[in-house]
Amino acid sequence: MKIDRPITRRELIRKLLRWSGSVALAGAAQWPLYTLNDAWGAGTKKRFIIEGFGQTDGFSVKDLTKKVFEAAGGIKRFVSSGDVVAIKPNISWARQPRFAATTNPEVLAAVIELCQEAGAKRVRIADNTIHDVRQCFAMTGAGKVAKETGADLVYPRSSLMKKMKLKGNRLDVWRVFTPLVEADKVINLPVAKHHSLSTLTLGMKNWIGGVGGSRWSLHQDIHQSIVDLAHFFKPELTLIDAVRIMTRNGPSGGSTDYVAFKNTLILSDDPVAADARASMLFGLKPQSIGYIHLAQKEGLGTYDFSKLEKKRVVM
Amino acid sequence: MKIRHLVWLRRMIQTFFLCLFIFFLVESRLSQDIYVDYSIAFSADNDIRLDTPVTFFFKLNPLIGLTSLLSGHRFIPGFLWGFGVLLITIFLGRVFCSFICPFGTIHHAIGSIRPALKGDRMIRANQKTPEQKIKYFLLLFLLIGAIVGLNLSGLMDPIALLFRSMALAVLPGLGAGLRSVFDAMANSDIKMLNLISYGAEVLLSPVFGYNVKAYQTAWFIGLVFLIILFLNRIRPRFWCRVLCPLGALMGIFSRTSLLKLKKYPDKCTNCNLCVKHCQGAASPHPNQVWQSAECLACFNCHNICPEGALAFSFAWEPKLNRKPDIGRRAVLGSILAGFSMPLLGRLDGRMDKVADSRLIRPPGSLSEKDFLQLCQRCGLCMKVCPTNAINPTLGEAGMQGFWTPRLIMTQGYCEYTCSLCGSVCPTGAIAEITTKEKIERPIKIGSAYVDRGRCLPWSGNAPCIVCEEVCPTSPKAIYLKKKTISGPGGKKLSVQLPFVDLKQCVGCGICENKCPVKALPAIRTISAGESRSLENQILL
Repeated sequence: MKIDRPITRRELIRKLLRWSGSVALAGAAQWPLYTLNDAWGAGTKKRFIIEGFGQTDGFSVKDLTKKVFEAAGGIKRFVSSGDVVAIKPNISWARQPRFAATTNPEVLAAVIELCQEAGAKRVRIADNTIHDVRQCFAMTGAGKVAKETGADLVYPRSSLMKKMKLKGNRLDVWRVFTPLVEADKVINLPVAKHHSLSTLTLGMKNWIGGVGGSRWSLHQDIHQSIVDLAHFFKPELTLIDAVRIMTRNGPSGGSTDYVAFKNTLILSDDPVAADARASMLFGLKPQSIGYIHLAQKEGLGTYDFSKLEKKRVVM
Repeated sequence: MKIRHLVWLRRMIQTFFLCLFIFFLVESRLSQDIYVDYSIAFSADNDIRLDTPVTFFFKLNPLIGLTSLLSGHRFIPGFLWGFGVLLITIFLGRVFCSFICPFGTIHHAIGSIRPALKGDRMIRANQKTPEQKIKYFLLLFLLIGAIVGLNLSGLMDPIALLFRSMALAVLPGLGAGLRSVFDAMANSDIKMLNLISYGAEVLLSPVFGYNVKAYQTAWFIGLVFLIILFLNRIRPRFWCRVLCPLGALMGIFSRTSLLKLKKYPDKCTNCNLCVKHCQGAASPHPNQVWQSAECLACFNCHNICPEGALAFSFAWEPKLNRKPDIGRRAVLGSILAGFSMPLLGRLDGRMDKVADSRLIRPPGSLSEKDFLQLCQRCGLCMKVCPTNAINPTLGEAGMQGFWTPRLIMTQGYCEYTCSLCGSVCPTGAIAEITTKEKIERPIKIGSAYVDRGRCLPWSGNAPCIVCEEVCPTSPKAIYLKKKTISGPGGKKLSVQLPFVDLKQCVGCGICENKCPVKALPAIRTISAGESRSLENQILL
């Protein structure tokens, strides 16, 4: 039974009645809310960060993605056969890939294919977009990728935005895009770009696209909001697409003048480390970015790379 | 062909055209599967367009073609279809009304599947009445108004009326009802219901979409529609007989029709079956004079007559049918009304003096005068708008512009890379533009301004940059300046204050739409600065 908000007496009675009536369905009625696996809090395992770099011109982004995953011990380490995998790209803007406002479709396609090879039952692409959903799907190439790979492209809609308790420092009850919490495994797949308020939008900031409701008010305390959301959504992996990065006029961009080629992919199971490494591509210090600093303070991860297992893949 | 077969053929054709109309109605939207076309993502100049010819019924409609010609002095695309229909009317009478017109088919079905009146009452209701000249009055009023420069025909035109009612009231109403059911099911604790709701939602999404649609004054549009449908219970096909200006136009043109009703009074047993089944109240009884201008050529009387006292046949001799019963007073009255209405409509000064700040027209709209001469208020642009920004006006465009399109930015916004509305406008009141043109010229529909008293950073309440973040132009039309200001209680707050660069702003309204200050946002869009007007400008 879902307890995500204060319950009135009448509601309680109604819920109890419904509850007793559907004992048979009790097992199925469990919301996946959230007994989280221990790996997170415990921190016993050494986390890793892998950087893939495409040196030559015209390198294959797809191959680089696959190489990066191989370096992490192969996708099978993270995705088991029969899993439902939700991928959260950043496809919030109806912009073509060349503007670097959205996740590179080649990276997206590669990750989906890897998950499918690992035997995932379903791969879902889920993002609560800012622009009109259909145009975002079309322009960013996510629609093409879904069509070619057979992944589900989830249309964000009111019935999939459920109220949940985030238990954050700042955010309490909020509407959450359910495919991202109901999946067995979640992979965060942001693009690295400039943002006028939070300096950069990377992995943790990508979770703003995982909630509904009046998400525009999150900007009033953006760093705490980002960290609260990053605590709530627990991605198996964060893969930051920094093949093209947007260096200014973000997050929407709209001109190739703002785009720089970094030919880099950053894969980590530590959301803070991934963001920290990506921020360095912009010539910034990780601790200068509010939410990265705050996330380390709250124990979500670390930007002290010496504590991590580091690898570099060059193509 | 036996007459019985002809009646069945008519029913089949009616059903076909009604289904076709509904199909085009449903298709008038950005498809959920638009992303199946990959090419859009990788080529810069590809515009998203609809695949189906959704304006077909508007082209088929001679009233729209004629009034656009008279008031806007232009032939609308595909007007030849409409003139083809007139040509058919000249030879065969009002067959459009009983075979093709989807609104007529709806009335026909309501009236005949379960008739409201029985026996003598039906016979009395089907007698021709003087009220039937109201439609000629309306037609002349609309035509003369169009010549003088006020094109109101879309308010009364059956195709525009039906499309508007279905697209803005019927479908959104049903959609909102279904959505609340789906949401309730999706929020239930029973897994089975979740799955059913999910499946049903996906199944119905091609028709209703995934979002609730809302339109200003839609309740009124729906009410008018329901009243018109209800009138069928007072008299079958009340709309077609008494009110329809397109029917009146066809009635006038049917005077030369070669298809005539031959009557054999000596065979008649006065059973009145013909009158009972008459759709147009055209006096089919053998002892009355047949009213060709009222006859919808549905062939019911011929089919039903048990004695063979009535028969439709071609008569080749050059003899005109009976004059439509218009009446000199109605003609004079309609001329007077047709001349005075445009003058009354201009009294509010919207066209000549000041534009309303809220009147933000869709991108590509012609200048206000030309726009009003062509807009049919059909609601196609409103139906097709992917963000639900385009709404019918209430008073923003004055009396003349009632129900013409206007963007409400708290409801949607103009998508920067979208140019669908112009591509479907049946009369070209919104010119078809490409996305490239829209961005590069650029086509401005208005401009934004910051309401500093309400704005979170300006008023010292909280940091916020949402308007700047979502601004789609490049470089952004909203720029920020860092400042430390004192907030409530004298607390020092480091914020970024938004400013609008009017040169860059295109008035798309996404800033207003996404502003966290709800209801009356702290950044708002007004029509000033719109490229279509020479007068309504801010900058030199």
